[in-house]
Amino acid sequence: MTSSKIQIKNLYKIFGTNPESVLPLVREQGLGKPELLAGHAHVLGLQNINIDMQAGEITVIMGLSGSGKSTLIRHLNRLIEPTAGEIMLDGQDVMTMNSDQVRRLRQKSMSMVFQNFALLPHRSVLQNAATAPIIRGIDTAEAEKTARTWLDRVGLAGVENHHPWQLSGGMQQRVGIARALSADSDVLLMDEAFSALDPLIRTDMQDLLLTLQTELQKTIVFITHDLDEALKLADHLVILKDGAVVQQDSPQKVVMNPADPYIEEFVGDINRARVLRAGTIATSGTPEGHMVGEVDANDTLETVIALAAGRTTACVTVVDNGKTVGKIEMRDLLSALVPYKSNNQS
Amino acid sequence: MATYDFLFDKTGLRDWCDADAVASPMSMSQLLSQVGNDDGTSGNTLPFPSLDTLHEACAAIPQTRDVTAGVEDGFLAIKDSLKFVLDPLTQPLSWMLDGALYAFTAAPWWVVIPLLIWVTWLSTKKRGITVFVAAVFLFFGVIDHLEVALQTLSIIMVCTSLSVLLGVPIGILMSRSDRLQRVMLPILDMLQTLPSFVYLIPLIFLFSVTEPKLYGIAIILYAIVPIIRLTDLGIRLVDKDVIEAATAFGMTDRQKLLGVQIPLALPNIMAGVNQTIMMSLAMVVIASLVSAPGLGVLVLRGIRNLELGVGLVAGFGIVLLAVVLDRCSKAALQRVDPTNKSR
Repeated sequence: MTSSKIQIKNLYKIFGTNPESVLPLVREQGLGKPELLAGHAHVLGLQNINIDMQAGEITVIMGLSGSGKSTLIRHLNRLIEPTAGEIMLDGQDVMTMNSDQVRRLRQKSMSMVFQNFALLPHRSVLQNAATAPIIRGIDTAEAEKTARTWLDRVGLAGVENHHPWQLSGGMQQRVGIARALSADSDVLLMDEAFSALDPLIRTDMQDLLLTLQTELQKTIVFITHDLDEALKLADHLVILKDGAVVQQDSPQKVVMNPADPYIEEFVGDINRARVLRAGTIATSGTPEGHMVGEVDANDTLETVIALAAGRTTACVTVVDNGKTVGKIEMRDLLSALVPYKSNNQS
Repeated sequence: MATYDFLFDKTGLRDWCDADAVASPMSMSQLLSQVGNDDGTSGNTLPFPSLDTLHEACAAIPQTRDVTAGVEDGFLAIKDSLKFVLDPLTQPLSWMLDGALYAFTAAPWWVVIPLLIWVTWLSTKKRGITVFVAAVFLFFGVIDHLEVALQTLSIIMVCTSLSVLLGVPIGILMSRSDRLQRVMLPILDMLQTLPSFVYLIPLIFLFSVTEPKLYGIAIILYAIVPIIRLTDLGIRLVDKDVIEAATAFGMTDRQKLLGVQIPLALPNIMAGVNQTIMMSLAMVVIASLVSAPGLGVLVLRGIRNLELGVGLVAGFGIVLLAVVLDRCSKAALQRVDPTNKSR
């Protein structure tokens, strides 16, 4: 009934000499991170994580450093072993797999892109991109053919015989993406994949990822500490703080209804006109203002503002798949542009 | 009376002391004190209660010379069984050294010198170094030192290649096990700090001085340390992110070792090879004390017979050989460095 590709259930990770001994304290008595560190000398990495990741969607896990997001993504392909909990991939528990099965999982089902690229410095770009099929034992000529296709797709045709150190950061990460894609896995794990890049290149890479995704429909788990990036990429946004999930929802809902002050503070800084979509704030009822046109439900508020061309009395119709779903009055739009907190005060 | 008599009288150990007292041979210090009419207890100095001093008071306590005698007896007791195991194990070393010495010295000079130059060119691809190597060997030929230099070179080649063959796997094992590293490090420290002459002492007792493996073992024990250390270090220093990526793509341990760790540790391993070559060169000179042929013999002759010129010329020859080996191995190292950006 559910199309969940990956389900994380009650996942706990405690770092320390004897994590099992303190697990009940966390699970039953709800001991927090500072108390556990002070009283028991164990570090609480993750507590009670429950996430459903849908097939073909980009799930973004966002949090500041130390929130446990990199730890969480490494549980999915078992680079880190959990203290307790289940991770289901297509209904199969990853945690019960033996080392051979885990290796096959890493080779075929999940491939990973790293923050620091982690390319093999002694191999050429082509050999790097062909890593996954070569590990699997596919013959070199065929593996390199696959690799070449993906290098073309990420815009790296012509540098196949260079070495990674000859490329810029952005290009190196393109190799990283080509390497992950040539594994032909359903799931793509991206650990702060664009965080080490310049802002402009980062935007390029985000666009590249979105373009590839419309076509490939992979299940992507994306880790980031950057809210703008998270909002741009996410179909499903998970916000992590001190190893616990504070809120998970669609990005539009997170921006409109932040669950706690921590997230409010986060979303306070963003450009809401560029993030919020017309469908999110559309209301039903008869248009009152001066009708200036119609917009798609997925258009951002910036489009609506441009359409209104400064007229505060304007009103637009919102259309989704050719069907009218509501209208936006300029005054509703203006109040939506102000963060939630001040909305309540007025 | 001896200084510490009171100790044994008071504690009631006098009977035990005298029970099996046998007049033991006099020690040198006793003899000297007799000659000087000094009974050893005059004055109010309190001698350190060493074994010899206590022995004077109590005959049951052994003298200091019994300790060294004990060590010697102990070694001699296990010598035969040790030899029984080590002799066949190390016999191939003798054959290899004999073979290499024979091959290098029996071949005519017009084969050996061009061969060495060709090998230099193949491994370094650097014109300067190749010309330098040619000049050095022609110089050896001119001053009639070619044969001894080649003997030294062949010993170094055999010992270095065996050191690498044994040292790299040991280093790899060490890098994969913290426990093995904890065990090995003190052993390596000891091998490195033990004065090089000390290696020779037990070996002389184990093997006959005419056997080449005697100095072969001494050189390998001394020279294997840096290759083990640097292999271990090199593999441990490989970027953790790259290893993680290799794991995340499902590489087996074997694929990781051969495809990632060793290639990336290669610069360090090659630095270890370079150090190993240099250390075997240092040891091969000392090994001439136990019949290792080569330039070392001439240095030794210079010291023994005060032949200043012979010693200095041979010493200079060793320096030339060291420079040749160092430059060649470093140039070869540069060529295999996978991340070398100047290629």
